Amino acid sequence: MKISFEWLKRYLPLECAAEEVEEALTLIGFEVEGVDRIGIPLLENVLVGEVISMTRHPNADRLTLCKVRIRKADEANEIVCGASNYNVGDRVVVALNGAVLPGGVKIKRSKIRGVVSDGMMCSARELSLGNDHDGILILESCPEIGTPVNEVFPEGDVIFDVEITPNRPDCLSCIGVVRELGAFFQLPVSLPEISSEDPDGSASPPSDLLKGVRIETPGNCLYYLAYSIVGITIGPSPEWLSRLIMAIGLRPVNNVVDVTNFVLYELGQPLHAFDAAKIGGQTIVIRQAQDGEEITTLDGQLRTLKSENMVIADLEKPMAVAGVMGSIDAELDEGTTDVVLESAHFAPTNIRKTSRQLVLSTDASYRFERGVDPSLTERAARRAIDLIMQVGGGRCLGVPHVAGELPKFDREIEIDADFIERRLGFEVEKERIWKIFRSLDLEVGEPVGGNDGRAVRIPSHRADLERPIDLVEEFLRIYGTDRIPNAEVSAPSVAQEDDQVSQFRAQAASFFRAQGFNECINMSMCELKTVDAWHGGDAPNLLKLANPLTEDQAYLRPSLIPGLLDNLRLNRFRGNDIERLFEIGSIFRTDRGKLWEILSLGFLLVQAPRPSGWLVREEPDFYTVSGLVERLFSLLEADLADLNFQPIRDDNTWQKGHAGCFGKFTDGFEAKVGTIDLKILKSWGIEGIVLAGSLSFLPKFLRRKFPTSSYQPDSPYPSATKDISLVVPETESAGAVRSRLESISKEAVVDQFDVESVSIFDVFRGEGLPDGTKSLAFALAFRSDQRTLTDNEVNSAFEQIVLRITEGTGYQLRS
Amino acid sequence: MSGLNSLDSLLAEAEKGASEVGTRANLEKLKASFLGSNGSLTQILKGINQLPKAERPAFGKQVNEIKRHLEGLFSRVSENISEMELKSTLGREIDPTLPSPECESGALHLLTQVRENICSIFRQAGFSVAEGSEVETEFFCFDALNTLPDHPARDLQDTFYLPESLSLGNVLRRGGERYLLRTHTSAVQIRTMLERNPPLRILSPGRVFRRDTADATHSPNFHQVEGLYVDRNVSVKDLKAVLDFFSRSLLGPEAKTRFRPHFFPYTEPSFEVDFQSSHLAKVGTEWTEILGCGMVDPAVFEAVGYDSQEWTGYAFGIGIDRVAQILHGVDDMRILFQNDVRFLRQFR
Repeated sequence: MKISFEWLKRYLPLECAAEEVEEALTLIGFEVEGVDRIGIPLLENVLVGEVISMTRHPNADRLTLCKVRIRKADEANEIVCGASNYNVGDRVVVALNGAVLPGGVKIKRSKIRGVVSDGMMCSARELSLGNDHDGILILESCPEIGTPVNEVFPEGDVIFDVEITPNRPDCLSCIGVVRELGAFFQLPVSLPEISSEDPDGSASPPSDLLKGVRIETPGNCLYYLAYSIVGITIGPSPEWLSRLIMAIGLRPVNNVVDVTNFVLYELGQPLHAFDAAKIGGQTIVIRQAQDGEEITTLDGQLRTLKSENMVIADLEKPMAVAGVMGSIDAELDEGTTDVVLESAHFAPTNIRKTSRQLVLSTDASYRFERGVDPSLTERAARRAIDLIMQVGGGRCLGVPHVAGELPKFDREIEIDADFIERRLGFEVEKERIWKIFRSLDLEVGEPVGGNDGRAVRIPSHRADLERPIDLVEEFLRIYGTDRIPNAEVSAPSVAQEDDQVSQFRAQAASFFRAQGFNECINMSMCELKTVDAWHGGDAPNLLKLANPLTEDQAYLRPSLIPGLLDNLRLNRFRGNDIERLFEIGSIFRTDRGKLWEILSLGFLLVQAPRPSGWLVREEPDFYTVSGLVERLFSLLEADLADLNFQPIRDDNTWQKGHAGCFGKFTDGFEAKVGTIDLKILKSWGIEGIVLAGSLSFLPKFLRRKFPTSSYQPDSPYPSATKDISLVVPETESAGAVRSRLESISKEAVVDQFDVESVSIFDVFRGEGLPDGTKSLAFALAFRSDQRTLTDNEVNSAFEQIVLRITEGTGYQLRS
Repeated sequence: MSGLNSLDSLLAEAEKGASEVGTRANLEKLKASFLGSNGSLTQILKGINQLPKAERPAFGKQVNEIKRHLEGLFSRVSENISEMELKSTLGREIDPTLPSPECESGALHLLTQVRENICSIFRQAGFSVAEGSEVETEFFCFDALNTLPDHPARDLQDTFYLPESLSLGNVLRRGGERYLLRTHTSAVQIRTMLERNPPLRILSPGRVFRRDTADATHSPNFHQVEGLYVDRNVSVKDLKAVLDFFSRSLLGPEAKTRFRPHFFPYTEPSFEVDFQSSHLAKVGTEWTEILGCGMVDPAVFEAVGYDSQEWTGYAFGIGIDRVAQILHGVDDMRILFQNDVRFLRQFR
C-alpha cells in the first residue's frame, strides 16, 4: 500500500526524517518495498527568473556570466554559471542570497574567479526534482518571473510503498499505520474529528431519496447503512484534496468520489456513492446476482455475473458488484445533486470469490476480502459526510437506512508477564510490556493473581489478536527484535542420522560425479509429447495437472531422460563438449490406475569415441552402463547379487535388442539401461547413439532395515575349475543358459561338494557353428569344505554334468 | 694339464656367450652347448675315465665346480632376460604431462552444493534430514499448518493441484482431500510430527512448487530447506541463536542478521530475516532477505496432537535457489535450470 509521509504527519507529530519512518515501518513488520520522492519541499528565496544575456566569464573559459531578471522592477542579477544548456530568454529557477536548497546548501553572494555571483541557477537535482544534474533546469511552461518555486512544482512528499501482511487489514489505511508508528515512536495519535452525530438514534430514516434498504443475502452482507445527502454541487475537488489523492497514485474524479476514496485510504472503510435519482424504485436491495445478469462496471467493462456474485441493486437493475465496483448506471455525474452514500460490512469470503472470478481487484475488494473493522461502518460514513458537505455543500438527511446487524466484537486475552518471558527466552521490565500494549490501543486490565496476570481487551480493528502468543509478538515488534540477546546454540549431544533417502541421493550423486557425469536439474513439469513418448497408456490422464500454467508444462514428468536429452541438445547447439549427464529427482508413473511418485536417477552418455582424445579408447556400450548400474546398486548395501538384467520387451523408449532391465518399481526398485530408441532420439533432435540408464526407487526400499549377517566360515581348501562350451540357439539369453547350467551342475554334484560359481567367459558366433546358434563358454568352479578335491572326483562330476546337459537341455557340447 | 686348460677356456667361452645371449631361446641353446647331453662340459666329464685314477677325484671336483658356476651364470642370465621381457611389456616411456583420455570428473549442480552446504551447517546444530514427497495433500500442506481453506495461498491461482479423482500409490492422505504439488516442505514436518514424539530437530530440503511463470526471480519449481525444532522451553532467543550461527557459518564471522516481524499462518511470532555481509555477492552491505522463520504456532501442534502447553518450537525456511543466486551472483534464476555444462563446471 502507498502511504504518504505528508498524510502521516496530519495525524502524528512526526519530526523525524522520512528515512527514520521507513526504517521504523520495516522494523515493526511493515516492509517498505519502495520509496518515491515527489515534488519539492518549501523553499524560500528560490524564484523563477529569465536569462536576459550571456557572456563569457572574463577569467574562465568554461564559465558564463549571465544576467537574470527576477523581478520586473529590479535590476537583473549577475550570476556566474558553469552549465551551457540554456539560451537567452529561457525561464530558470534561481536560488537567491539566503536560500537553503534541499541538500542543505546555503546560497551566499560570493566571488567566483574574481566576479561576484548574485545567486545560483539550479539543476533539477539541486531542487530534489530527480537526478538530472547535466545542466540547469529550464522551465518549459514559462511561469511568470518572480514566482516562488513552490508555486511551480507540487509540494514535496515521500511516498512509501509498504507491504501489509494479510493478518493486518487494519493497516490498509493511513490511520492503521499511524497507530503503529505512534506506538513505535511513543507519539500521540490525533484521529480525524467527526462532527456530525446521529441526531436521534430512534428517529426513523427519511424517505425523500430512499424508501428502503433490504438485505436478501444475509450471509454475505452483514450490515448496510445508506445515508441520504441532498443539494450537493458536483465539481472538481479543492486542491488540498486532489493533491492528497494524487500523492497516493489515484486520479481525482469529482469532489464526492474523491472524498469516498480519501476516507477509504484514511480509515480503511470502502464507501460508495450512488446518484439518488438513478436508484429505480427508490429502494436498495442487496442480493445475489442472477445467473447471466449483466452489469457495466465503472471501468467500462460489460460483465456477466453468476449467482455466486453479490450485487447492490435497485428494483430494476444491479447498481454495483457488492464490495468490488459500482456500475455506470448509478454513477454520479455533473447533474447529480442528491447522493445516497453506502457504508457496509460484507463477509470476506464472497467478496474474495467474486473478485477472483471477475479478475477484478479494487481498493474496496482488497480490503473487504481481508476484513474491515466493523466499528468503521458508521464512523467512516460520518467522516465522509463531513467532508462531502465541506467540499460539495449539501445536507445530510437525518439517520441512515439500516439493514442487517453489525457483528459484535468482544474479546479479552489473559496473559502474564512470565508467559511472555518464557516464550521470548529473556527477561524484560514488566511495566514495559503493559506500556507497549497500551500504546497499541490495547486496554490492559488490573493485575490478577500472583504472576501479574492481566486481562487485555482487544479493539475491534485487531481481530488478528486471539491468543496469548499473539500478544507476545505484539510486544516484541514494538520492543524491538534487535534487543533479542545473542546466545549460543544449544544442541543435543546425540543427533539422528539423515534419512536414508537423503544419504543415498548424496552417495549416488558423488558416484556419478566421480564417473565423469555432470549433474543437471530440470523442471518437474513437461509437455504432452514427453508423456506420450516416455510413458503412454493411461498416463496422460493421470499425470496432467488440474490447473497447469502453460501447455508445455502441463504434465508431471514420467522420466528424467527427456530432460537430459534436452540438456544434451542445448549443449551441443552451443558447441559445448559434453558426454555424460545425470539427474536425481522425483518422477511420476502410473500403475493400475494410481499415480506413484518415484525417486529416480537418470543418466546418459554419448556412444562415440571421445572427440578430443589424443589416445583412442574403446567406445562405451551397453555393458558400460549396465556395469555402472551394478556398481551403483552396491552402494545400497543390498544383497542384489542375484539381479540379472533381462531384455526389455514392452517399453518403446528403449531400442529393441539393445536394452536391459531388472526389478519393478512397485516392488521398490527398477533399473532400465541401454540405448535410447533411435526414433525418439531423432524426434528429440539428437544425432548419433545415446546410452542411458533410468533407475527407480521407492523411499520405503531405500529405508528398509538390513538384518545383521552372521559369519560363514570359508573353506580352507582350494577350488577346482572345469570349462565347458555349449552351442545354444541364438534366441536363448546367456543368463538363462547360465542359470540352467548352474542348477544342473548343483544337482549333479549334490552331496559331494559345492558348485561355487558358474561364470561366462566367452561368446562365439560364426565359423563351425550352425546358423542360428552361438557358443557360450563357462567356467565351473567346484570346492569342498572337507578336503582338497582330486582330479578324479572333479572329472567324474564334470562327466555327470555333461551327460545331464546333453540329455536334458538340447544344448550341444562344442567340441 | 690339457683338461684343466680346456676347462679354463670353456669357462671363458661360456661367459662370453652369456654376455652376448639376448633371448631366452639363445640362452637355452647356449646352456645345451655346455650342459646338454652333448655339451662340452658333459663331454669333458665323460673323458674322466681316461685320467689316471689318482687325478680323477680332483678333476671331478673341479668339473663340478665349473658346472655349478655355469648353472649360476645361466640362471642369472635367465633372470635378466625375464626382467627384460617384463620391461618390454611396459611399452614406451610415458609422458606424464599428457592429459588422461578418460573423461574428466563431473560436477554437482550448484543447487545440490548449496543445499548440502546449508544442511551441513544445521547438522552441526543437531539437525538431521527428513525426506518427503513432492506430491502432497491439502491436509499436510495447508490445514495442518493453520492455513485455512479460504487462504489465498490455497487458490488455484497459486498452487498446482492434481485432478480431483486421482489417488496416489505411495503418498497417503488423511481423508478424501485433494492432492497437490507441495508449496513448501513444511508438509514433511507435519508427517514427521505425526510419526514421532518430541523432542525433534529436523531439516527438510527439497523441491517445492508455486504457480508462477518462470522469469529472472521466479520459477514454477524451486528448492527449500526447512528446519523444525520442538522441545520444552524453546524460545525466540534460541531461534535467533541458531540463525545467527547459520549466517556466520554461511557468510563468515562478521555476518549480521536482522529480524523483521512478518506473518506466516504456521508461526507466531513470525519473522523475515535479512543478512548483511561483505560476502554477499552483488549485494554488499545492503540488508538482504534470506529466510522466513518463527515460533511454531500452537494451532500446528494441536493439528499433530502435541500438547502446546508442554512443547514449544521454532521453524524456518530458506530458499536454496535464492541463496545460490545471492552467494554466487547468479542474476537470472532460469540459468539454474538450463544445465549448460559450462555453468555446471564453474562450481566444481
